[in-house]
Amino acid sequence: MTQIIIQGMLLSGLYALIAIGFTLIFSVGRVLNLAYGAYLMIGGYVYFYISQQLGLPKGIGLILAAAVGCLAGLLKYRFIAKPLKGNHVAIEIATLILAIVIQSAIILVFGESTKILHSLVPGIVRLEGVTAPWSNILATGLSWVLIIAVFIFVRQSHTGRAMLAVSQDPKGAAICGINGEWINMVTWGISGLLGGVAGVFFASYTQLSPFMWVGPLIVTVAIVIVGGIGSIIGTLIVAHIIGFLEVIVVSYIAPELRGIFTMLLIILFLIFRPRGLFGREELA
Amino acid sequence: MKLIEKKHLVAWGAFLLIMLLMPNFVSNGTLRIFIFANFLAIFAISWDVLSGRTGYISFGHPFLIGIGVYATAIMSKRFGMPVEYSIPLAVLITMLGSVLIFLPALRIKGSYFALVTLAFMELAYQLVQVVRPDLTGGTRGIFGIKTLTRGAENGFYMSMSLMFAVAFSAWLIMRTQLGTALSALGMQEESLEGSGKSTTKLKLAAFMLSAFIAGLGGAFYAHYVGAIAPRTLFDINFLFTIIVAVLLGGSGTIIGPIIGAFFLTFLLEFLRPYLPGAGRYFIYGAIALLLYMYQPKGIYNLLEKLYQRWRGGAA
Amino acid sequence: MKPVLEVRNLVKRFGALVATNDVSFTLHEGESMTLLGPNGAGKTTIFSQIMGELQQSAGSIHLYSEEISRLKPAARIKRQIARTYQVPRPFAELTVLENIRIGHMPNSIWDMLRQRPDLEYERQLAHKVGLAEADYERTPAELSMGDLRKLEMARSMACKPKIMLLDEVFAGLTAAEVSQISELILKMRADGMTFLMVSHDLPALKPLVDTAIAINQGAEIARGSFDQVMANPAVLSSYLGEV
Repeated sequence: MTQIIIQGMLLSGLYALIAIGFTLIFSVGRVLNLAYGAYLMIGGYVYFYISQQLGLPKGIGLILAAAVGCLAGLLKYRFIAKPLKGNHVAIEIATLILAIVIQSAIILVFGESTKILHSLVPGIVRLEGVTAPWSNILATGLSWVLIIAVFIFVRQSHTGRAMLAVSQDPKGAAICGINGEWINMVTWGISGLLGGVAGVFFASYTQLSPFMWVGPLIVTVAIVIVGGIGSIIGTLIVAHIIGFLEVIVVSYIAPELRGIFTMLLIILFLIFRPRGLFGREELA
Repeated sequence: MKLIEKKHLVAWGAFLLIMLLMPNFVSNGTLRIFIFANFLAIFAISWDVLSGRTGYISFGHPFLIGIGVYATAIMSKRFGMPVEYSIPLAVLITMLGSVLIFLPALRIKGSYFALVTLAFMELAYQLVQVVRPDLTGGTRGIFGIKTLTRGAENGFYMSMSLMFAVAFSAWLIMRTQLGTALSALGMQEESLEGSGKSTTKLKLAAFMLSAFIAGLGGAFYAHYVGAIAPRTLFDINFLFTIIVAVLLGGSGTIIGPIIGAFFLTFLLEFLRPYLPGAGRYFIYGAIALLLYMYQPKGIYNLLEKLYQRWRGGAA
Repeated sequence: MKPVLEVRNLVKRFGALVATNDVSFTLHEGESMTLLGPNGAGKTTIFSQIMGELQQSAGSIHLYSEEISRLKPAARIKRQIARTYQVPRPFAELTVLENIRIGHMPNSIWDMLRQRPDLEYERQLAHKVGLAEADYERTPAELSMGDLRKLEMARSMACKPKIMLLDEVFAGLTAAEVSQISELILKMRADGMTFLMVSHDLPALKPLVDTAIAINQGAEIARGSFDQVMANPAVLSSYLGEV
């Protein structure tokens, strides 16, 4: 039982962090960014290159992973989302193609083989017979710090509130003098940053591979839709439902069925509750 | 006027003739590339019939193709069923399977629909590995499936005839009122309903037609390559190749997906000596992305414009 | 005159907002009726409920004494009622004739495959609504607002309705186009078509209608002939926004 709770909290925290970055874009830009999974890869590989191939301190690796993720987000906005503005299908297809390009670029540089990331911090915690690596606990802790920071940013800061306004009513926001383009750019940047960091955590939780992005992408999009587009609280709740479900399936039923249950849950949810559990469509 | 005209038939005849004579002009190696191009063209037409026309973007087409592939492979390899039965049955099973992605299409649209189909593909990938691995061959897939042809030339004729039959039939269907109605569905679903047409029936027709082609192509493909594995089938790269073939060639047409499939297959082969392995997809994807961003209507549209300009200049 | 369309105690609520508040009326064969009222009075909402695009919260709708309140839009159109939209919504990449074809083509998939399009009928219809021959092969993007309205009329007429609901058919038209469409409506009336119309162009509307119902905030405030209703002080004040 303790095992389930700890494992569930760790995995759910990661899913929540990944999903938050995605939900920002989905609610402000109203578009599925299928290349979001690629941020995870970019973050993971930048960290791998800096701290394991160059041997620089891990903190620098993490910061650079975030920075490169952010840059990728900005570039994507400038060269894909902005030129195709308004054409959702085109953006989805273009971002899917981009994800493949990024995946191939990574294979070109690092090869196809799976890489193991060294732990962020060494050591293992034992609690009532349950073991968990310190680095996973740290990753989940940092995830929560970032999630809360995003929440406060959206609620309190001027830019964050402008994001809220754009997500609720783009035209109204424009009339009130909010620069929609600037807000969109900030959103894509933040989303890339969160994706980059999440990639490092996710890769150290599982492993680093050029194919690591599809599964989490589907899970993420589903969390965001089921949680209610743009609802941060809803996203957190659903991330935990899926995270815990996976851990329960792995421990009690069979580890290889993990993905199957998640996909089935997602399909059923999208068909029967396409508006989400809470049925709201704004950033809050 | 979208009706059948003499010049269209002449163009199809010329296309068939060139394809029939192809083995006289090119090496066996090139023929093998053509075989893959033919199969890709079939899959691309299947995708376009559904997504290019009706606007319901399927990100799960490998799911449909995979049903056809696995169905015939299991029936012929595991149960010794003759190919004459296993292929038609596989097509039927694929059409039944397409009901699974048709049902969501009645309730959800756009990004949501695309995502559900993607989840179906991922689900299929996971399922074939763990459910009855004695039948599906698990992660390793199925080897030694009975092949229909021997040698590049026979394989070429088989795949080419199939591709031609699929393309020509699809073209004929799209010339009928059904084709017009399916295109209308992609443009304005509400207006179509407001014109008294049952969009449910039309969607079902599009899904069934698309699944028929996917199942047929998939089943023949299984009996051409002789070995299948879940990782290469239910793969996002495969999905990407199909969609890009359609978009580059020109969606909403029949000739477009064929052009796209040939262009992509040969581009990939052309890059092989310079960039071995998956790295080729980098150049390939980059070209696809650039073309898509700057020529979203595809190569066919570009050729049409050039042709019109040329005729304008000559007249 | 035989009643063809009956709307009984129709109510539509959107949360706390009552968009249609207990509206009833009967349309007789060959009659032409208009719903009058300021913007947001709930006229289009009534149209959408009659066509089945919106489900009513209470009340019922009857067509030729058959209740159609629960039928899908396509099933209602099959029972010979059709509408046009305030904002024309043509099929953007189909030609004018193909747009008309959509309305006219058979319902069953098998018949769609088998039957050839009736080009002669499509041309006749396009001609009847006043579209120029040169436009038949053009796409909607190349048409003027007036021609788009004509195309919209033709597409609805191709469904062979006996009752047509026209939503703001005169909006965005030049004076010449207004009189063209008016003539068309008069001609169709002479052929026995029943109309329910909504328009802000009151002078254009006046010669086309027999009866009028004024609506404000979803509820009926007056009914009678066009002139009677327009003379009603409650109607005037609703248009001036002094409710």
